[in-house]
Amino acid sequence: MPCKVLVLAEHEGGAVAGITYELLGMAHRVAGEMGWAPAEIKALLIGSGIAGAAAEIAARGAAEVIVAEGPAVQGYTGDAWHRVVEAVAKSESPEMVLFGHTPNGWDVAPLVAAGLGVPLATECSAIARESGAFRFSRKAFNGKFVQVIDLGTARPLLATMQKGAAPAFSAATRGRVRPVPAGVGEADLRARFVEIKKGQAGAVDLTQAAIIVSGGRGLGGADKFAVIRDLAQALGGQVGASRPVTDMGWLPHEHQVGSSGVTVSPKLYIACGISGAIQHIVGMRGSGYIVAINKDAEAPIFGVADVGVVGDLFEIVPALTKAVKEAKG
Amino acid sequence: MKSLVLVKQVPSADSPFRLNSSGTWIEEGNLTFGLNDYDRYALEALLKLKDAGKVAEVVALTVGPERAATVLRTCLATGADRAIHVKDAALEGSDPLSLAKVIKAAIQGEGFSLIMAGLQADDDNYGQIGPLLARLLDRPSATAAMGLELRDGTTVRVEREMENNRLLVVDLTLPAVITVQTGINEPRYASLKGIMAAKKKEIRTVALKDLGLDAAEVGGRAARLRTVRLASPPKGKGAEILKGPADEIARELVKRIREKTGVI
Repeated sequence: MPCKVLVLAEHEGGAVAGITYELLGMAHRVAGEMGWAPAEIKALLIGSGIAGAAAEIAARGAAEVIVAEGPAVQGYTGDAWHRVVEAVAKSESPEMVLFGHTPNGWDVAPLVAAGLGVPLATECSAIARESGAFRFSRKAFNGKFVQVIDLGTARPLLATMQKGAAPAFSAATRGRVRPVPAGVGEADLRARFVEIKKGQAGAVDLTQAAIIVSGGRGLGGADKFAVIRDLAQALGGQVGASRPVTDMGWLPHEHQVGSSGVTVSPKLYIACGISGAIQHIVGMRGSGYIVAINKDAEAPIFGVADVGVVGDLFEIVPALTKAVKEAKG
Repeated sequence: MKSLVLVKQVPSADSPFRLNSSGTWIEEGNLTFGLNDYDRYALEALLKLKDAGKVAEVVALTVGPERAATVLRTCLATGADRAIHVKDAALEGSDPLSLAKVIKAAIQGEGFSLIMAGLQADDDNYGQIGPLLARLLDRPSATAAMGLELRDGTTVRVEREMENNRLLVVDLTLPAVITVQTGINEPRYASLKGIMAAKKKEIRTVALKDLGLDAAEVGGRAARLRTVRLASPPKGKGAEILKGPADEIARELVKRIREKTGVI
């Protein structure tokens, strides 16, 4: 069967990563729109000890799971993986190859683009047909604008898709699993996977928090975090932060919420002085109830918040702390 | 060991961003520009290696219009040894793959062992140039470095940032291309002495014809990745905006939080 959409599956030690099913969901959506057969949607799975993962993906969205296994691709390196993706893309000639906009998807996709000599759209949130062509939507200028990209007539079209761009494919399928030689020898490689390890150890685990009060660049300094801590304490919650805050050392890295920090889904998320760069939003938009406090009425954070206050956080936040304490008696 | 940092001039975050009249990019007239934040960390990583005596030379390269020379001067004042400015009107609107081809041509024969760049630029947020260049050079690469260590003259160990506070450790055989995440180090600022010294440092300007490249292949007109339009983001469901004195707003917030979440 020919291939129209090829999805690069992701897994961790053989456990399929959720983004894989979202990519398959996107692939089915695109195929449906184009009248392509579901049988033309394939996934590429690279690694070792992945037989179970392959069967799972074949049962949930992929008509065929192409499995490239071997010692040279056991741990992720861009050097090894791009060779496999390029070889499979050449032999399958898909119209489109979808990658997750994940640390490794974003790492390997440009290598494949340069190898195949085709353009790539990164961090996309939607794919649509417009004027007879595929158009890829994404955020630019750190979320200030939505950019719509055309990639021209070269094939395959390459895109990395943001988490949440499409609902995970959930129907049952009866795909087949087809092993292919990885075609990469360890001696060919100029990169060697060493290990995956924990980052800086910290006592804070925001992923388990029911209430998070986060501060951003708008606070202006490490010494200003007291207002955030006070509110978090009054609510019995944890303190979170956006990337600039941890980059500037105002708080340790483990407090960082977002694509390069932790993804959180508390019942209550209060964002103070956070403009809402897409990298932050992807890490917190799954929260139950979102309150945003920012002086800029145009800040993208108000687009995802349930309730917002446009104003000076140094007035609003202490007033809120006081009101919370009163309410709790 | 010679090293290269790829840098970009981008609009400052606090600039007044407005769409241009055709709705395809932003209006540049009112913007202030500066060195891309991610690139400061890439430059610092190389300056640290130079301080440690492991890198002999740090060269900064940018592709951009005349105004982009200021970011090269920033790099020189901060400690880079010399700079290369690829400047050609035909390059405006080039796509990332074309820019990577231009950069490859501009550094041919330089023999850089370590090439670094920021993970992404703060304007387009593409995050492609580093790995594109690596592939064109047929050298290994790693993105989103949060740690970097030259093991010996032939290998660099990179700690790449993964999700959920984890790091993927990978060894690359030099020459290699590495892009860095912000927060990997604490970028230094240019000293007065550095600013004075920078005036004597070289900025070599090169045009497409100097590189033997044809605008029909790498210029704006050859771009295949094309911005169809740029627009303000949809407001989504949009937040209900509360107005009034701070204590009144606070009471309203408490009421809503109590109703919607039950955590108070």
